[in-house]
Amino acid sequence: MSSQHTQDVPPLTETIAPGTATDPDVTSTETETITVDGTEVTVAAGSTLLDAVEAVDTDDQVAALCHYGREDIGPRSTCRTCMVDTDAHGLVPACSTPAEDGLVVDTDTETATEARDVNLDLVLSNHNLRCTTCGKNGRCELQDAAIDNGVEEPRYGVFDDRGAYEPIDDSSSFIQIDRNKCILCNRCVEACNDVQVEGVLRVEGTGADTRIGFQSGVETMEESTCVSCGHCATVCPTGSLVETDIADAATIQLPGFTQKNSIGKTYESSTTSKGPMTPKKGEERTEREQSTETERARESTVDEREGWP
Amino acid sequence: MPPNNITDHRVVVRVPSDSDDVRTAASEGDANVVAVGRTGIPDLEPLVTVTIEGRTALYPNCPPDQAADIATDITDGTLDEGAAVIEHDPDAASFPAAAVRGLDLGTRRVLGGCGWRRPASAADHEAEGGFVDVSPNDVLDAAETLRGRGWGDWRHDDRVADDWRRLRDDEHTAAVVVNAHAAVDGLLLESAPLEVLEGAQLAAQVVGAEKVVVYVSEDDERAVTRTRKAADAYPDPVAPVDVVTGPSAYRAAEPTMVLEAIEGNHRLEARLRPPGSSAPTLHETPALVHTARTLAQLAVAVRTGTPPTRLVTVSGDVESPATVELPESDRLADALAAVTLVDGFKAACVGGRFGGLTPSLDVAADPDALADADLGTEGTVEVLGETRCVLEFVGKRTQFAAETNCGRCVPCREGSTQLTELLRDVYDGDYDAEGIEELTRVMDASSVCEFGVVAGRPARTTLDAFDAEVAAHADGRCPTGTCFDAPEVTH
Repeated sequence: MSSQHTQDVPPLTETIAPGTATDPDVTSTETETITVDGTEVTVAAGSTLLDAVEAVDTDDQVAALCHYGREDIGPRSTCRTCMVDTDAHGLVPACSTPAEDGLVVDTDTETATEARDVNLDLVLSNHNLRCTTCGKNGRCELQDAAIDNGVEEPRYGVFDDRGAYEPIDDSSSFIQIDRNKCILCNRCVEACNDVQVEGVLRVEGTGADTRIGFQSGVETMEESTCVSCGHCATVCPTGSLVETDIADAATIQLPGFTQKNSIGKTYESSTTSKGPMTPKKGEERTEREQSTETERARESTVDEREGWP
Repeated sequence: MPPNNITDHRVVVRVPSDSDDVRTAASEGDANVVAVGRTGIPDLEPLVTVTIEGRTALYPNCPPDQAADIATDITDGTLDEGAAVIEHDPDAASFPAAAVRGLDLGTRRVLGGCGWRRPASAADHEAEGGFVDVSPNDVLDAAETLRGRGWGDWRHDDRVADDWRRLRDDEHTAAVVVNAHAAVDGLLLESAPLEVLEGAQLAAQVVGAEKVVVYVSEDDERAVTRTRKAADAYPDPVAPVDVVTGPSAYRAAEPTMVLEAIEGNHRLEARLRPPGSSAPTLHETPALVHTARTLAQLAVAVRTGTPPTRLVTVSGDVESPATVELPESDRLADALAAVTLVDGFKAACVGGRFGGLTPSLDVAADPDALADADLGTEGTVEVLGETRCVLEFVGKRTQFAAETNCGRCVPCREGSTQLTELLRDVYDGDYDAEGIEELTRVMDASSVCEFGVVAGRPARTTLDAFDAEVAAHADGRCPTGTCFDAPEVTH
């Protein structure tokens, strides 16, 4: 890409700031043969351990929840539900470990199974599990993973505190965001920035406040620079980003039982027409700002955390 | 070289460069007054010393008027025998051992220049034997046993020389990144920046790096200015030196986030580090990331061939914190002699903000012994006094992890949140030790970066060492009386 730049024209990606790290290449450089649960698998150059794991009938379920594996999206390796045991490196995330000749991979050792199970439960702990009002009920990758792994009662419960729910963002005519169902897999951010090169979505915040937001710094989809291409909704594994018309598609048909009132708070459209053009881009905040007072306070008073216990 | 303050002057009055009042007062007379950096023992500061021909008088906590008197009196050329006087080699270019608390411990090699040599004086550093002319092979030989210091080092606790050998054959190495985000690394940059820069130059020479990038917290302005000054004074560097600041947030010391910050990302999160030997990259070109501590150790090892030491900072329930330098065979307990405990000693959190809690410091300062004891190797000993509640301590520490992690991976982001909840549940009578152990095991085994790997260590080690005290909380009782309101008296 860089060879096409001229000195006067900055690269197109310069103003795109998705808020994510620049990961190294995590794929093999050559064809490699590895052993997964006793079966030898040969994978092409550019493969990870997950490619080999997916090629065999493994002894145990490897959810690899955040993995997408198409269109150069990922591996983000955030959910860590693809942890497998290896003879050379111990426990590793299969989705972001290069295939390596001669490596012996086990999916069903005690530590690997424990790590995948605990991490899947940790994902569920921060997910609004009101599947019966969710438009993705029945075609949700998190739901599938939970069923495949026989999760009946997640160790840490589910995200069930209505007071802590973020409002549903139903302000756009096309795409609805319900962050209470977001597992931060980052697929939408990569689809938006790396595939569509629209530079609308980003990851923002830290710790429990980490969320998908907008590079222009606005709060709602309607105010954002979204062009409604829908790629984010296509790649979303859960009901977090859905096409507006099917947001309620799978809701049980009961009077007063809707997807929106299951959350209780919604950003609605302002109904002012945006016209044919999306808002002008170019207000992206890409510069690192000095740490804010809140951040400083949060960092400096290590042992004066509010509200303990 | 301009004159140094070691052998080129008969009388040297050293004043702290941080204290403008003392410095100005002492400079009023005709004495040869030089400004030096912090010693690592804040309890002594402002510290003024007067050296004449192998004898040095120490004046701890010296107010400006006394500093002015000292500088005036010294013009007669004799030491004030009323002060604490130490005898030493007249050519001593490192702070000599002194019978003053904090300065009487261990051995000052890496810290040798701190409080003794002018931070940005190439002449002073040369008087110590600095700026050695050695071949890359000599550097690699000296680095053979060198292990990365602190969690900010890409090779934390691991040998550094293997990467250097590999990158030596690489066509292009972008930079030697000096991570000085941690407080102790900031101390080195403020007080002995040339020691750090020499280590960086030696590493740059081995791998053929095109530049040295020194990375410091945006809050550490003194380290920035001193390092720039020292870099300007550095004679014939093999690689030019840049100084870059990053956010002051704790996580910003993690080596992959250091690279993200230097590259200018507005939001810091960890990069993936696939297993194996891959080198860090800066702007997609191989680089090294080492802490200032690691590189200062290299400079000392190349110059003197002496065995490595450990910098240990004692803080917490003490009157004043102290940073000392110990041989690796010394016990951590030895470092306690540098401080005054204010509430006795119950436990210490050893090895960083997410260190291990232990009731005993009878463990050697070397990384293997510390790892065996499930303690951290960051070089910090945070004392918890007799009346401190370990559950409260570890709860708040875990909450800190939950609030300040980068947010990238589930085991760290959601794990630290759920771990906080599990610790909170103890107060409601639900002490799930197995659940806590399982969670900390998974955080350790599957987090993307070291922040998450160690975030559960305070909790895990507390359950090991203070199980009964935690369990008491589940029965509604806090042995130190910290956690619950006073029970109502019933008759």
